[in-house]
Amino acid sequence: MKHKVGVDINNKQKDRAVAVMLSREGGGNMKLILDSEKCTGCKLCELACSAKHQGVFNPKKAHLKIIDQYTETGRETRLKSCTLCLKCVETCPVEAITFNGKWLVIDDGLCTGCGDCVDVCPEGVVFLNSEGTAAIPNFCEGNPYCVEWCPHEAIHKEEDVA
Amino acid sequence: MSYRWEVLRVNLSTGSVAKEPLNKSWTEKYFGGRGLGAKYLYEELEGGIDPLSADNELILATGPFTGTIVPCSGKLAITTKSPATGMILDCSIGGCFAPQLKFAGYDMLIIEGQAEKPVYLSIDNEKVEIHDASHLWSKGIFETESQLHEEHGMGAVVLSIGPAGENLIRFACIGSEYYRQAGRGGIGSVMGSKRLKAVVCSGGKDVTVFDMPRLLELAKKAIREDVLTDTNLWAHVEGTPSIVEMSNSSGVFPTRNYQDGVFAGAQKINADSIQKLRPHKKACFACALGCGNYLCVEDITVEGPEYETLALAGANCGVDDLRAIAKFNADCDDLGMDTISLGNVLGFAMEMTERGMKDFGIRFGDVETYLKMPRLVAYRKGVGKELSRGVKQLAKTYGGAEFAMQVKGLELPGYDPRGSWAMGLAYATASRGGCHMSAWPVADEAFGDLDPFTIEGKAQLVITGQHYNAIKFSLILCDFWALSMDTMSEMVSCVLGREVPTANLEKAGERVWNLLRLFNVREGFKVADDSLPARIFKDPLKSGTPAGRVLPREQFDSMLREYYQLCGWDSEGVPTPEKLKELEM
Repeated sequence: MKHKVGVDINNKQKDRAVAVMLSREGGGNMKLILDSEKCTGCKLCELACSAKHQGVFNPKKAHLKIIDQYTETGRETRLKSCTLCLKCVETCPVEAITFNGKWLVIDDGLCTGCGDCVDVCPEGVVFLNSEGTAAIPNFCEGNPYCVEWCPHEAIHKEEDVA
Repeated sequence: MSYRWEVLRVNLSTGSVAKEPLNKSWTEKYFGGRGLGAKYLYEELEGGIDPLSADNELILATGPFTGTIVPCSGKLAITTKSPATGMILDCSIGGCFAPQLKFAGYDMLIIEGQAEKPVYLSIDNEKVEIHDASHLWSKGIFETESQLHEEHGMGAVVLSIGPAGENLIRFACIGSEYYRQAGRGGIGSVMGSKRLKAVVCSGGKDVTVFDMPRLLELAKKAIREDVLTDTNLWAHVEGTPSIVEMSNSSGVFPTRNYQDGVFAGAQKINADSIQKLRPHKKACFACALGCGNYLCVEDITVEGPEYETLALAGANCGVDDLRAIAKFNADCDDLGMDTISLGNVLGFAMEMTERGMKDFGIRFGDVETYLKMPRLVAYRKGVGKELSRGVKQLAKTYGGAEFAMQVKGLELPGYDPRGSWAMGLAYATASRGGCHMSAWPVADEAFGDLDPFTIEGKAQLVITGQHYNAIKFSLILCDFWALSMDTMSEMVSCVLGREVPTANLEKAGERVWNLLRLFNVREGFKVADDSLPARIFKDPLKSGTPAGRVLPREQFDSMLREYYQLCGWDSEGVPTPEKLKELEM
């Protein structure tokens, strides 16, 4: 798996990106995949996610988004979720976000709530929680709750093998 | 809890946008959706107003489950006074609009008045704006939605009307997400009369419940052990087209304007035929079932055709060409027109033409002419100008009242009461005229184990269904989850944080049903209006199990008398003061 490094990052960030890249080669990187044939677009996964992690129902506070819409050519169903691109890790000015080789971890004590990670997330699945600190996707530490809730077994977790 | 406690009130005459607290004591009695919408409408409208005037309102109501993980809770109730019937009209629409309204911070949206020129309304949390809609006016629903998505983002959910609503067609609907409709009673023409082309909504606020861990437990259990079981799974596996087979084989499938109950071409338009063209299934928000028949045939894409379209715009018009029905369906969705009423109107026009009573230039099975009709009617062009008036008015002008298949001005849907006598009572007493959504006893009779040809026990059967749906559509849950009142009670108690026993919900259902009746009584409806087209009493069905059957008039009358008595209504069909007192109204 190749990791794309942004063009404007400084040396420190570059070092971290390299470290991240190396850590990934050990395998075990987690991701969520969607079987778009099975997905009906019900969004129960988004509701389950915000309920578990934020204690509320709010699709805008979910770590995954189902895009399900009619287009000119038919219908488009896809998933946006953490791809471990690690842009948030690179961007965080206080190094509050780390990658443990499987998922992201945030140190709430360090997070200043600046929102840089929210802005940089290409999937739109990082947001600030009600305490004003960053809510970072972590695949429910290996047991994604969304997978549990999908009524049609359309979402799966997948782990890279080294 | 779970309510946001805020109502958004928009007056299109004055351009005012106001936020007000949701009436808490009314929520305790009417919950939301159908019931709460009816309560607001009953209190805010004067009796006798013109439904297409500035005096009418459109009330868009969510409920205590909206926006939560309670399965099948994604629907919105829109309540108004119907231009087709002059009665109260509540339509429910699936998709994502209701949760989006709640996430924007509102339990209800009330639209009053009438704009001077075409407008649309946008809601983005606190930011509510009335915009010029001249660039959208005259466009179909599909293009309107696409355009508004460009202007407001893909995440915004749109409710809109097409040309039929703009042209005040008495059976225009409101569409959302291209293929979902608040379908009946001309609700789209009310929106058109307000010159309101669309409402666009997006929100990002939290919806909270009293006991989150318990609700997650209850909802998960409900999905696994209740929603996704055989009782409901037909909706996901085959969807409503599965009813074609049941209806046709029990002889209640309206064919050629209700002249027969068995359609020779049924197998060409049944679930098996549709399944082959159905690449995908689509669900409303928070629905574990997913009944949407997303269908592709040649160049036509549509979500549907649903059973009612297959019945009324298919068999009832003598059309067994699935491609043609899908095209008709897609055109109606885009123009914003109810396929039930239009199919019924065309069936009537075909019979009138074939009998030589009035030549509307269209005959049963004439697919070419049939496909021209949606456009002609929506724009009131040519023969469409007359047809747009609906069967009741057509029969007044040209005769044929005995086979004008309507009740109180609303065209009948797809279940012949001659083969399901309780269904006749359900149509005759439904709060919005000839409608199958108040109660659906055909499931117990023609499709079930009860003898369809007796009136014994049928009044109670209809009442039980009406009260059950009244509370279910107030909470607001989808028709397709056949859940118990105990399950409703468990979940509503958990969400609200107060004990709401089953008995309270039963009483609330009855209260809502009585309120709908009170509205219609105020509009002058009486016992004589609770009737059926003469064909049901006089012309025997020709084929299948109910061959030779009518619903005898005297049997119907005694079923109706028993119904009033069991309802606690007087002989004119008016709720008695004692009943209203008992229901704390």
